[in-house]
Amino acid sequence: MSKRVLLHVGCPKTGTSYLQDVLLRNQSVLRDHDILYPADRFDAHFLAALDLMTLPWGGLETEAVGAWDRLAEQVRDWHGTSIISHEIFARATPTQVARALDSLGDAEVHLVLSVRDLVRQIPAEWQENVKHRSHITYAKFLRTIRDPARESKIGSWFWAVQEIPDILDRWGASLPPSQVHLVTVPPSGSDRGELWRRFSHTFGLDGLDLDLTAERENPSLGVPETSLLRTINQRVTSIIAPPDYRPLVRELLAHQTLSRGVASARLGLAPDDHAWAQDLCRSWVEAMAGRGYDVSGSLDDLIGPDLGAFADPDTVPADELLPPALDTISALLVEGARLRAVEERLHEELREAREERDRARLTPSYRVKRKIVTSLEDSAAGRGTLDAYRRARGRK
Amino acid sequence: MTSPSGSVDADATARAHGWVAHLRDGGTTPWLAWSGTGAPTAPAVPGAQQLELLRRLNLASTSSARPRGDHDRERTRLADRVLVAPAAGRGQADLPLVGLAHRGFGAAPVDPSTISAHELLRVASVLLADDLVALGADPVATSWPRPWRRRVRLVGDPLVAAATRRHLLGLGRPEGGPRPFVVAIGGPLDELLAHTWTQRCFETGATPWAEWLRFWRERDQLPDRADLLESVRRWGGRRPFVRVVTDLDLLPRQVGVRSLPPVRVPGADQAELARRVAAVVGLRVERHERPALMRTLQQRIPDSGATPVGVPIGEREWVARSAARTIRAVTRRGYSVVGDLADLAPSAAAPSAPGGPDDRQVLDLAIRMVVDPSWRRERRRQEEVER
Repeated sequence: MSKRVLLHVGCPKTGTSYLQDVLLRNQSVLRDHDILYPADRFDAHFLAALDLMTLPWGGLETEAVGAWDRLAEQVRDWHGTSIISHEIFARATPTQVARALDSLGDAEVHLVLSVRDLVRQIPAEWQENVKHRSHITYAKFLRTIRDPARESKIGSWFWAVQEIPDILDRWGASLPPSQVHLVTVPPSGSDRGELWRRFSHTFGLDGLDLDLTAERENPSLGVPETSLLRTINQRVTSIIAPPDYRPLVRELLAHQTLSRGVASARLGLAPDDHAWAQDLCRSWVEAMAGRGYDVSGSLDDLIGPDLGAFADPDTVPADELLPPALDTISALLVEGARLRAVEERLHEELREAREERDRARLTPSYRVKRKIVTSLEDSAAGRGTLDAYRRARGRK
Repeated sequence: MTSPSGSVDADATARAHGWVAHLRDGGTTPWLAWSGTGAPTAPAVPGAQQLELLRRLNLASTSSARPRGDHDRERTRLADRVLVAPAAGRGQADLPLVGLAHRGFGAAPVDPSTISAHELLRVASVLLADDLVALGADPVATSWPRPWRRRVRLVGDPLVAAATRRHLLGLGRPEGGPRPFVVAIGGPLDELLAHTWTQRCFETGATPWAEWLRFWRERDQLPDRADLLESVRRWGGRRPFVRVVTDLDLLPRQVGVRSLPPVRVPGADQAELARRVAAVVGLRVERHERPALMRTLQQRIPDSGATPVGVPIGEREWVARSAARTIRAVTRRGYSVVGDLADLAPSAAAPSAPGGPDDRQVLDLAIRMVVDPSWRRERRRQEEVER
């Protein structure tokens, strides 16, 4: 079987978490079909991306040392098809792309880019920023990304991972167009399985008996829920460190609690922003149409939905914030109670350990030894004697 | 037939490749003043940040009187490293040069001479981190433990504690042992906070000074090592075995020696550079290897004459309140104080350089360290300077 690498480099918010979860859970089935998904943890390829791109990430980077080279080595050693997938690879510079492609050896590299229209990506990216500690308002976020200078952290990151023609130029410049595959996210309201079918077709997974249960997704939030989370960030970002923010705010509040508000209004774009986003997408489609890429879905999917009702997340009234706020308090109290129970159990275990130690110390011989040691430790000569004794007994 | 615009684009690209070659040869001409052309030496023109940093390095290299000989070879090797070095962290990726053909996508082209010191530091910190990793950690001087040594556990001011700990280890007086005296090294709380942040920069890195300070102020807590009482409690210090030292001249006796070497307090630019380098070192070596490498950097980083970070005026009220709380608690617990307890109050003078490090100074230091490798060649300095 020929060696191939399917290198999926983005974009964020295009169903990548679901895809990566399916690949991780079905590693053994995939191996049986000569397909390698080399990951020992769900974020293995994220760590490889941090390493490749020299990206410190709130302390997580210390787990990423050498991660890209290890990943590339596994790919080089595999006889069949390998899959690498993480959406932040989209941000790689030409130099990093060259290093990545060189390190994959003689395998035939196929670039995969899953893409979605800006009309849906812009609100999704703002939400993602809010779920990563930002308290930027939606209006300011839009101003930031529409600023052509792109000098801010948010603006430069957004375009680095969302500007499809630029990503393709950086990653696909050295590949023939037939080895560049675009997977478009189907329009809203499409059959839920359609995106998977497109992924499956592109990754050559059709016909495999895979467990497709959705265990790990990156759910979106409604307008009031995102607005509430942003307000919470205003209060806590400066006082909650990233290692605490991740489990307490991002996971517990955003993913496990606030994402349940399925009835809430979904975030969209105001008319002016909507027109701008669609015009931009049309120019992208035009630029890509003649390049001869393999497209799963249709480039027309990139134009995005028509203008819908717009609910402004910067002006959500207090009565709409109240229900998710109460849900938040409730979730934090339950989590507080759970942590108290954990603390109680640890105290109990510690108490039992101390009691056991004290019972052992009740023997007369222990008490005599303890008295001698205590007396000796009170003088320099005594301490020297003790040191010599301990060394002789091999306790030092 | 080539279109006129295609010909203009090709000319601009040839000019860019010519500039890259010029910089690789040690040239210092700014991009907008450059008119020569050259053949490509790499598939793509490197980013404007890398090119401008290389130009600044060449400028610094030209002004430093160094013997030639291997210099040219070294310079080319360094240039090649700079041109492929990534800009660490989130922020702008490699930027295109103004004047080159713009495809309509990607980052906006820039005049490299206008790139901020902050952006150039993102590249320079990668070079320094790689230099540090290549250098490796300096060995720690140790000696056979003296059985009659005074048993102490050092807490408090991390800069002083770390230096004292190292010195004692070299004298065969390692910290710890059964029933040690807990020696809490105190000082004016504003200095203690500055030392805590500075030392952290030379260990695992930290958030920027202002952000770090705000984090603790808004929590109304002190960082672990600046919180003397919590540090004493953590080590199980009981009243007869606790000493709170506020006069550093009296510290040697408390740790069982006649004298201690002066402690070197890094300037704001040194700490900021270390903070940036630590983040990249965290991506280059295993977690347990980073502290020793950063300690090596702390001992070898060249002096710059910059003052240490200071607590800005806006935070001083909180610092004063926290210091008063600590003084009350120490008094209440009855710990022995070596020196004057009132010395824990923040110093009256406002800092000379409020707001923390200046990126331009930090960049100057980084460029000096990249250009002049003497900090990597010299053996560990024998004594630390300046208290």
